Amino acid sequence: MSTAITRIGCLVICGALSSQAYGQYEVDADKPVWLRALLDVRLVHAGPAPSWTDRGPGKTRYGGSVTDSGFQRATRFVLSQLALEVGANLPWDIRAQAQVNVQPDIADNYRPWLIEAILRREWGDADQGWGLQAGVMNTPFSLENTGPAWTPEFTISAAALNSWLWEDISVAGAEGEWWHTSRSGLRLGALVGAGYGGDQMGRLLALRGWAMGDTLGGINGDLALPARQERTDIFNERDQRPALYTWLTLGDEHDIASLKFGFMDNRGNQNEAGIWHTHFSTVGLVLHPHPRIDVLVQYLDGVAKVHAPPNDSSMSAAYVLLSHHHQGQRLSIRYETFRVHDLDGGPASTSEHGNAVTASYLVQMGLRHRIAFEYIWMNSHRLINGPLNPTPDGWQMSYRFRY
Amino acid sequence: MYRHNYLCIALLAAAALILVRPAVAEPSIAGAVTSTDGKSVADAVVFVLAPAPTAASHGASPIVDQIDKTFVPGLLPVVVGTWVHFPNHDQIHHHVYSFSPAKTFELPLYKGEDAPPVLFDKVGVVKLGCNIHDWMSGIILVLPTPYFTVTDHDGRFVLRDLPAGTYTVSAWHALSKLKPEEAAQSVQVSAQATQVAFSLPLSAARPRRAMHGSRVEP
Repeated sequence: MSTAITRIGCLVICGALSSQAYGQYEVDADKPVWLRALLDVRLVHAGPAPSWTDRGPGKTRYGGSVTDSGFQRATRFVLSQLALEVGANLPWDIRAQAQVNVQPDIADNYRPWLIEAILRREWGDADQGWGLQAGVMNTPFSLENTGPAWTPEFTISAAALNSWLWEDISVAGAEGEWWHTSRSGLRLGALVGAGYGGDQMGRLLALRGWAMGDTLGGINGDLALPARQERTDIFNERDQRPALYTWLTLGDEHDIASLKFGFMDNRGNQNEAGIWHTHFSTVGLVLHPHPRIDVLVQYLDGVAKVHAPPNDSSMSAAYVLLSHHHQGQRLSIRYETFRVHDLDGGPASTSEHGNAVTASYLVQMGLRHRIAFEYIWMNSHRLINGPLNPTPDGWQMSYRFRY
Repeated sequence: MYRHNYLCIALLAAAALILVRPAVAEPSIAGAVTSTDGKSVADAVVFVLAPAPTAASHGASPIVDQIDKTFVPGLLPVVVGTWVHFPNHDQIHHHVYSFSPAKTFELPLYKGEDAPPVLFDKVGVVKLGCNIHDWMSGIILVLPTPYFTVTDHDGRFVLRDLPAGTYTVSAWHALSKLKPEEAAQSVQVSAQATQVAFSLPLSAARPRRAMHGSRVEP
């Protein structure tokens, strides 16, 4: 017994010593496989209307509760997101990466959703080159979802425009991209992609309208619909016609300003029941007038149609975001406006209009920790809700751990 | 008379040119670094391992910039006790860090010139990374001596201004399988430049490829 303890003691001491005795001039090799994680927990004080995720009329990710006398505000502590990312360097300079997310309130359970699983290969450098990517992915249109694990970078909740892009679209396909910097310093980029799985795209907007949050749609996920027991699939392919999309960028060599244009058409076959045909365009402008200031402006306009029932809708949304960043702290304010217009006048109108203001303050503490506060004021009128339109404001505090 | 004046002016100008001519550093050790299979090795650092002679500080702090999501330069040798600046000239944020035993530090999300300089006060390799862009990688090699140089594309180097004497000179490369002590050579420095050749066995590299394109742009 004592011999065993002595051996264990020696091993512990040797291990401790060896960890101290590093090679002074040695370079740690890049690991061919890497794992990262993101945990986000929140204290939320939301408006009275239950959230759309609870089949209520609320337009934010977290809402109030139902009582005998109606709706009331609720304060709750929630697990907002657990994301796991794995990446690998494969032969032939191919990069593989995948991400799964647990979002209990969105999924209604703890089942992980596959957000992304891609293989990517690039040729060239930052000035000029091209790349190919294939797998399960979202579209590249969001100007806000550029943070770790595709979270919004500037606020806790993305604008309604980008919230919808990330919650409702997940395709399995491939895309090619080309970028080039001209002699005069213009940076050009063109991306073209095709993917299956978008046959229900647009249904959420027509039946629910615009909402704000930070949901990431997964290929194996589905989303709640207000006042309905059924859920809508994020990935749904019925007509075997791939969606097509493109993303064009034009900017200066210092990235002071860049203009972006995107278009997507899911090419849904209207001769088949239950398939939505949705197409939209988006234009965005990113400005960096000062190293500490980011300005984002984005507009989206599109149409979602379905053979039956009569829920054809046009939709549009726009936002402007101003963000100031200094030494790990970020203060952002965003104004947005959104609209859905019922095109075919069915008994259950899909029309709505609204606007919102979001203010957020994020503090990054070291490599691992972030604390954030966000206040949302939203004014939304959805015709079908009658007097039950969501109440206008709520706040949330987020603690995020990044591994 | 005029001719005499012109002559005086010409002589004075020549004297002034000689007096203000900047001092040209004299080569002390020159040579090349190759791999064991005979290929030229660029970006190898040749330096005096011992003794560690001191030299006047160059004054200005060196920088490791961030341009197009790349550390520039990717390799920066410095003498111990040097402050290094880390400006970020991308329009996106970087979060520079190092977990290396020779220097553990981080510069939280920033752009422009906001980050304070970092003091490298311990000899060794400091591997740099970005918490946002996992493929970004750089090295600061902190050396015990100011007498170092980096090989060019052809693997050639020149070490200048070493006082006469006997030195242990070594070559380091990020992929070298040899420790500097194992690659070291004793070199006698005199008035004439001494020729030295290093041969390093290198391991195969498969660094993480940089990501470009619109998906990683803001």
